[in-house]
Amino acid sequence: MINTLPAVAAVPHPQEPFIQKLLRAEALLPDSETNVLEVVGILKSYGVVLDAYSKNLIYIADHQFLVLFPFFKYFNGEVTLPRLLRHWWHDRINFEYAEYCMKTMLWHGGGQLDAYLDSDDFLQRCRAAIAAKIKSNPAMRGLNALFSDFLPEQVRQMVYYSALGQFWRVMSDLFIDLSDAYDAGKVQTIPEVVAFIKAGLVAAAANPITYSVDIAGKTYDLLPKSAGLTFLMDVAVPYVEAVFFRGTPFLGTVSYNAQAYQISADQSRFDYGALYADPLPIGGAGIPPTLLMQDMRHYLPDYLTAFYQAQGRGLDDVRVKICQSFQKSMFCVTSASLQGLLPYPADTQDSVEQATNHDFLAGWMTRLATSRLDIVQL
Amino acid sequence: MAQFFVETSWLLPIYGLIGALLALPWSTGMIRRTGPRPAVYLNILMTLVAFGHGVMAFRGIWNSGPQELLFSWFEVADVHLTLAFDISVLNLGALELITGLSLLAQVFALGYLEKDWALARFYSLMGFFEAAMSGLVLSGSLFVSYSLLEMLTLSTYLLVGFWFAQPLVVTAARDAFLTKRIGDVLLLMGVVTLASLAGSLNFNDLYEWVKVENLSPTMATLLGLALIAGPIGKCAQFPLHLWLDEAMEGPNPASILRNSVVVTCGAFVLIRLQPIVVLSPVALGTLVGLGTVTAVGASLVALAQIDIKRTFSYSTSAYLGLVFIAIGTEWPGVALMLLLTHAVAKALIFMAVGSIITTTSCQDMTELGGLGRKMPATTFAYVTGALGMVGVMPLGCFWGLRMGADFLGGSAPLLALLFFIVNGLTALNLTRVFRQVFLGTSQPKTRRAPEVPWQMAVPMVTLSIINLLVPLAMGKLSLLPPWEYINWPITVLMLVSGWVGVAIGATVPLSKSLARSLNRTLRIAQDLLAYDFYTERLYDKTVVLAVSSLARFSSWFDQYVVDGLVNGVGLASLFGGESLKYSASGQSQLYLLTIVAGVGLLGIFMTWTLW
Amino acid sequence: MLSALILIPLVGALVLILWPGQLEAQTAKVVSAVSLGLTLVVLLLLGSQFELTTPGLQFEELLPWIEPLGLSYRLGLDGLSLPLLVVNSLLGLVSIYISDPKLHRTRLYYVLLLVINSAVAGAFLAANLLLFFIFYELELIPLYLLIAIWGGARRGYAATKFLIYTALSGVLVLGAFLGLVWLSGNSSFDYDSNLAAALPLAQQMTLLVALLVGFGIKIPLFPFHTWLPDAHVEASTPVSVLLAGVLLKLGTYGVVRFGLGLLPDAWMALAPWMATWAVISVLYGSLAAIAQTDMKKMVAYSSIGHMGYVLLAAAASTPISIVATVFQMISHGLISALLFLLVGVVYKTTGTRDLTVLRGLLNPERGLPFIGSMMILGVMASAGIPGMVGFISEFLVFRGSFLIFPVQTLLCMVGSGLTAVYFLLLVNRAFFGRLAIAPPTATPQLDVDLPRVSWRDRAPALGLAALIIAFGLQPNWLARWSEHTTLALHQPYQGFVVGESRFAPAALPATVAETILIVPAVSPSSAADAAEVYLP
Repeated sequence: MINTLPAVAAVPHPQEPFIQKLLRAEALLPDSETNVLEVVGILKSYGVVLDAYSKNLIYIADHQFLVLFPFFKYFNGEVTLPRLLRHWWHDRINFEYAEYCMKTMLWHGGGQLDAYLDSDDFLQRCRAAIAAKIKSNPAMRGLNALFSDFLPEQVRQMVYYSALGQFWRVMSDLFIDLSDAYDAGKVQTIPEVVAFIKAGLVAAAANPITYSVDIAGKTYDLLPKSAGLTFLMDVAVPYVEAVFFRGTPFLGTVSYNAQAYQISADQSRFDYGALYADPLPIGGAGIPPTLLMQDMRHYLPDYLTAFYQAQGRGLDDVRVKICQSFQKSMFCVTSASLQGLLPYPADTQDSVEQATNHDFLAGWMTRLATSRLDIVQL
Repeated sequence: MAQFFVETSWLLPIYGLIGALLALPWSTGMIRRTGPRPAVYLNILMTLVAFGHGVMAFRGIWNSGPQELLFSWFEVADVHLTLAFDISVLNLGALELITGLSLLAQVFALGYLEKDWALARFYSLMGFFEAAMSGLVLSGSLFVSYSLLEMLTLSTYLLVGFWFAQPLVVTAARDAFLTKRIGDVLLLMGVVTLASLAGSLNFNDLYEWVKVENLSPTMATLLGLALIAGPIGKCAQFPLHLWLDEAMEGPNPASILRNSVVVTCGAFVLIRLQPIVVLSPVALGTLVGLGTVTAVGASLVALAQIDIKRTFSYSTSAYLGLVFIAIGTEWPGVALMLLLTHAVAKALIFMAVGSIITTTSCQDMTELGGLGRKMPATTFAYVTGALGMVGVMPLGCFWGLRMGADFLGGSAPLLALLFFIVNGLTALNLTRVFRQVFLGTSQPKTRRAPEVPWQMAVPMVTLSIINLLVPLAMGKLSLLPPWEYINWPITVLMLVSGWVGVAIGATVPLSKSLARSLNRTLRIAQDLLAYDFYTERLYDKTVVLAVSSLARFSSWFDQYVVDGLVNGVGLASLFGGESLKYSASGQSQLYLLTIVAGVGLLGIFMTWTLW
Repeated sequence: MLSALILIPLVGALVLILWPGQLEAQTAKVVSAVSLGLTLVVLLLLGSQFELTTPGLQFEELLPWIEPLGLSYRLGLDGLSLPLLVVNSLLGLVSIYISDPKLHRTRLYYVLLLVINSAVAGAFLAANLLLFFIFYELELIPLYLLIAIWGGARRGYAATKFLIYTALSGVLVLGAFLGLVWLSGNSSFDYDSNLAAALPLAQQMTLLVALLVGFGIKIPLFPFHTWLPDAHVEASTPVSVLLAGVLLKLGTYGVVRFGLGLLPDAWMALAPWMATWAVISVLYGSLAAIAQTDMKKMVAYSSIGHMGYVLLAAAASTPISIVATVFQMISHGLISALLFLLVGVVYKTTGTRDLTVLRGLLNPERGLPFIGSMMILGVMASAGIPGMVGFISEFLVFRGSFLIFPVQTLLCMVGSGLTAVYFLLLVNRAFFGRLAIAPPTATPQLDVDLPRVSWRDRAPALGLAALIIAFGLQPNWLARWSEHTTLALHQPYQGFVVGESRFAPAALPATVAETILIVPAVSPSSAADAAEVYLP
């Protein structure tokens, strides 16, 4: 306390060991056999769930465009009585969680996609699509005239439906591939897992993100290729920022009371994301990720089910266990993303480049100081 | 057929309870692999059935006149407890309001809580809540009413405590229960007194008893005060108003009901009790006094709130203050009119608030703005709700406020003035909030604000339309004064007070950040109101401190004085100190000693009889 | 038939003692459970033949024993003892069911449990004062051993304290019995409500004070209560369930049966003091409970508070309040048994009962959500929320006592409010919030991993909760057994009023008055006597 005088520059970053690990192509998660089992197993079931989420998000974006009462939006167009009954029995994937992630992304914004949605170019395209959609609906036309931002805002939401759907499409395939590689014995350590994910992200980095809808036989490009939006920088990075880091305050753990000042006025200081979240309340009230954990429990690989069964309460608290594993896997994905986003190659010999890399990672690690990083090390 | 629905009216509260029980397999976690939504649908269905049954019974009773249903419940010694239900147009009307709003709130919750996995528990509680309220308005016996008020206290506790892992919820649920419980225990004293004095607890018998009783004035005063204590807690009146503020930690769909029909239930009981309370002029005066303090105080406090839920919860207290004044001055008609119109308007406003919170993840008004252009259903709901709340247009509350001012104007002009003041202040507050939330430029948290999904929008729009139709319905039920009897000066004054409020609200400067005024006096006033006159701290320093000190003292006294004394002196002298060593050998000696003592006494006795 | 209730558990105990070779815990459990199950069957049979309208003792059994002593083996059953006997068998079963299967000295443990059950049944059945005393004393030693052998860290202290207190209680009770028979010049200790009729008031009062203090230690009432929290804290869960649910009732049963039943004149003279004593006990117990941080201690202090209601109701001795004593005994038996049971599960699962470290146990996946829900139900029942048996009992207590002791009754109602305070603190501290078993200041807050609670452990709580709700919704099922007995107990107290009645019902119209007159007829002599004594 007394001797923290001038030598600030010399003090190493408190998370320096992690920075070094990332630079050595290792992970924020320690390498161990059970960690690999948990991470790959959970990513496998996550992959299956993301596949369903992604298909549904894209279906909604493409086929439920500006439908005011989308009663059957989770049916992907196949409405049959047995499906309806299963839906009512709540024997289904909880697509609400996908929409929750989408809304979180939309709300936090960030990246070129967000900026594009405010551009005049987008607004023109948006107006054209809206006009076509409500051409024969005078009530909606009136509403549109009165509340000028109502429908454009809905269209922006549709854009995010589609963008997140496209992002998860890639991630789902990547995670399933990872699981196949693990089953084939090609991936055996956490650094290999991270490398696998990083390779997948890098490969998809420049994929274009586009969105168009068909209205009355005519196609309206809402996100044209010309907007130049790409997978990694315009969707993946905002996604990680919005869902892994910031998140939204859970009603079940944080008070919204304005006079209690528990929630920061500055969204960039939010730390309610997946890397910070406390797994214990999962399953309780007001904890949205429960939906995801519930969906994943149906698709756990047998080895992971057996692993959970052997511990503590067995499958009675499986959703908490899934969340703990999921958090571990998300630290791997974060490791992969950070390594993929490094300004210069990790093994650069140029000291300026090294310093830039270091600063880049130091910035992220500072934010992770209050995350569950310490606990996943245990 | 209609008679069948009337005779089975006792089922009306049962439906909600059945819904609550049907949800148990999901809320207890017996069904874990699939989700909890069937519980939701079952509860909505049961509420729908209750609503439908209520409509049929209402039509039946409309033609046949009120009926009383009596079920003997418990008889022992001199206690005869009957479950009495009064099936009248008024009671069934209130029941329809409750089930109707409950239905809308439950559909609304489908959207508001769509990401919440504990839905089944929530709907169980809502079913229970609805059952208690339905029973309460139909109840024809103070015993039933008291029991159901306690049920409401319990379900409020559980509903506020729904998100029990959240730290502020923990204290909020506790305070909600304890504050209401204070009122309930006092009410229980009144109930026990009445039961002992009047024998029967059925309201009709009590009204007969009141005509012939000859209580001493002190006794009547104490009884009156005890009886009004329960409603004071339920209706969040000063000094038991704190819980409503804290209860805003609970889920919004429950807040919709809490701010509209739950407080109405409390006042409804008070209206039923009023013919007994009139025994005591002091109690009536207390009603008026507390009502006045709450109406003015809460209206002012509401102005200083930055939390969108809290500002309206204080306004609820304020309106219930007016209701208290009306009951205290023996104008139950005014009270009922205000209650019913307020419930509809306030429920709507809280729906709009819920939709704002869903979209922006924020309750802090200083961080909101510019939502008007993006959220048509919410804006529409807020505006109609606001217009229905105050006397600026001939919608719901206008008629209630006008009637109050009109009737009280003759006997108590100062109290009538309160109706104008509350009207003006509420109009000011509603306008201020409207500007802050819906107008102005977008802020970071409102930059992307798509309108809420249909599950929330449909109930909002439905209730908005109902709100607009309230005056028509009132006309149809002959609740509006005939044209020629309208007191025009009062009516015009009411409109003027409302519009003045709107005008001030439209022009006062609004601070987007939480800027506390630089002027010291103003700042102190601002803080005083923002923190509700520091009532919470006042409680901490008085009641809470007193109870906890007493508790700590008792515990200390127990440990050192009672235990020490009784152990030390009493037993030491008896057993010569030997036994207090508690050694292994000491134990067996003691053992012996007991038996020897017992046998010895027996022996003495035996020898004596032989002699 | 009645002897079967005493003998069956004893036979069970004998079987256990004589069981050849190593006695498996499971076998011992089954044998004990079967014995108590049989007593329940016997009770069921008795209940089916029980004549509801007969106020006096039924199914009497009489065996001359030591006639010179006036001791005879005389048993009888009435509406006061029947419900308590059922609770005794029921909670005996529960405590055997929840006993730890891995106990050491299994044989002794179950034998002791059975002996307690037999002794308590004997005490409730005894229609001879000395016989009652023998059973009353007989139950002490097994309980002492149960605490002293299978208790917690300070079991020696707690057990000895329990023994000293209750032994003293026994001495006083015996003294009072001896005095009663001796002074009245009887040669038999057989129960007879006219036993003390001829005694002068001063003698009656002395005897009553001895009885009250004697049983007051057992109930326990302030200031003789300090053995109870210690005993509960050190006792294992099954013993706590028995202690709170059944054994304390011996005290209140004794007060009602022998005090109220035998010494009416003294009773009426001392009633105002007793009511005040009840108030002190209620408020003191409740306030002390607020300050506790050990869950079990809190429930123990709440017992002190709630048993005070029985004394208040007994003191008022109106038809309603006497039936209320039975209600309150049963309701406290069921509710406190449930609470101790739940606290036991919490302790077993988390290893602590400390309210400063337990938090968030309602957590649905890792916590104890079922136990938490039951706990909420239990504390709400205890706080007198309608729909559960606690409410109707308290309502009857207050309703029955109000006209006689208005001030004391109102003060006791404050105690009912305080119950809500401490139990809400318990629930909110231990069950709400984020799941943790560490003080809130501890960092980091680790992920708790508690063992699961099986349905086996949940079942007894569910059963008790069902009874609590059933009697709350349909109190007639309880009242019908006791109504006539308690009305008979009320006989000598007709015309009992304290001071001038502030609530003179004379002015009421006949129709209303009919239902509320607690004083149908005033017998001239006793009323005059009473008035003399009660007028200050």
